[in-house]
Amino acid sequence: MTRRPDLTADVSEVLLSEEQIQAKVLELGRRISDDFAGRELTLVSVLKGSLPFMADLMRSITIPVQIDLMEVSSYGGTATESSGLVRILKDLSSSIDGRHVLIVEDIIDTGLTLNYLVRYLRGKNPASLQICTLLDKPARRLVEIAIDYRGFEIPDQFVIGYGLDYGEAYRNLRFVGVLRPEVYTDPD
Amino acid sequence: MDLDADLDIRPAPGFAHASEAELARILDFYAVAWEYEPRTFPILFDRSGTVLESFSPDFYLPELDVYLELTTLKQRLVRKKNRKLRRLRELYPDVRIKLLYARDFRALLFKYGKLALADALTGADGQTTPPKVRRVGPIAGPAPEGIPLAPAAAGPEDPPTDRASRDPAHRADHGRRRARPTRSAARARAASQLSVAAESGGIEVTA
Repeated sequence: MTRRPDLTADVSEVLLSEEQIQAKVLELGRRISDDFAGRELTLVSVLKGSLPFMADLMRSITIPVQIDLMEVSSYGGTATESSGLVRILKDLSSSIDGRHVLIVEDIIDTGLTLNYLVRYLRGKNPASLQICTLLDKPARRLVEIAIDYRGFEIPDQFVIGYGLDYGEAYRNLRFVGVLRPEVYTDPD
Repeated sequence: MDLDADLDIRPAPGFAHASEAELARILDFYAVAWEYEPRTFPILFDRSGTVLESFSPDFYLPELDVYLELTTLKQRLVRKKNRKLRRLRELYPDVRIKLLYARDFRALLFKYGKLALADALTGADGQTTPPKVRRVGPIAGPAPEGIPLAPAAAGPEDPPTDRASRDPAHRADHGRRRARPTRSAARARAASQLSVAAESGGIEVTA
C-alpha cells in the first residue's frame, strides 16, 4: 500500500523558514538586478523543483527579464532510463543566442544534471551563462561547478519543500524542511 | 519491492564491485566521460625505492580532471582507505580526488529512487569475487624524486590490499576513454594475479 504523505508529521525539522527564504530571494534579486543592468537576461528554470524559487526570484528582479523552462529526465526514473542517457523532456521555447542566461536551480548536490545542462546550453551560443541556486549541498558534489549566486549552503540532509519533493510530494510546503528518515525507510 | 524488476546487481565485467558498475551507469546517463582505474599511484616505497604500496582510484573523469574512489565498506572499516587517500594527497598534491563513502553512495542511489539497490550493493555483497588469501610480492619501480621513503615495509597489520598492489600488470597510463574491460581481459588479469602470487615470495595479504 502506498503511504500517504503527511505535510506536517513527516517533517522532522524546519531548515529554512519562509521568512528566511524570502529575505534571501530578495537579496539575490537585488544582486542579479545590479549585475545584469542594461543586459538582455533570460532566466532558465529547471523543472519541477525550481518552480517556486523561479516565481519568487523573477518578481524580485527589477530589470526586464525573459523566462524559459526546461526539464530533463533523471537517472533511475524507469528501468529503461537507467540504462540510457539523460533526455531533454522540455526544451527552451525561445532562442538564447546572444542573450545572457542565468540558470535558476532549486538545489545543487551532485552537479551531474547541471553539468549536463551547462554543456547543452553553451551549445546554444548565449552571451554568458551563469548559475543561481537557492540551495547548495556541497557534501554531495561529484562534479565541481562554479555557482555565481548561492542562497544557502545546507548540510547533508534530505530536504523537502519550496519545490523540493520526495515521491512528488511536499513541493507545496512554504519552507524547506528535513524529511523524517522513517518516511523513506518505512516499507509501507 | 520487486528487486528483480528494477535492479541489476551483477557487476559488469572488469569492475571489482557492483557499486562501481552502477556509478559507471550513472556517469554514462549524464554523459560524463570516465575511465576505469586508468592510473596507479605508488604511495609507499622502501629505502631502495621499490614500490611497496599503490593506490588506483576507481574512476578518472578526464573532462573534469578529477578522480573518484568509491568505497561501500562500513564507515568504521574505511580507516585504511582514508590513510591511502591522505598519502596520495601528500605525494601528489596536484591530483584532485573525491572519496565516496558508503553513505554517499547510498544517498546517491536514494536520490534516484534506488534505495533497495543501495542496500544490495553495500559492503561485500556487491563484490565480484569473495575475499580470499593471496601471496604477492612488492611492485618494482623507482620512487619519484623528492618523495620521502617509508621507514619500513608495510607490515602484516597494514598490508597492501588494493588491486594495483597485487597486480603490476594492472598499472596503466591515461588515455583510455570509457575503457570498460572485457570478460576475457578480466580472466587474463585474474590469471596474471595468480601468476604473480605463484612466483612471489612476498607478504601474505587478504584481498
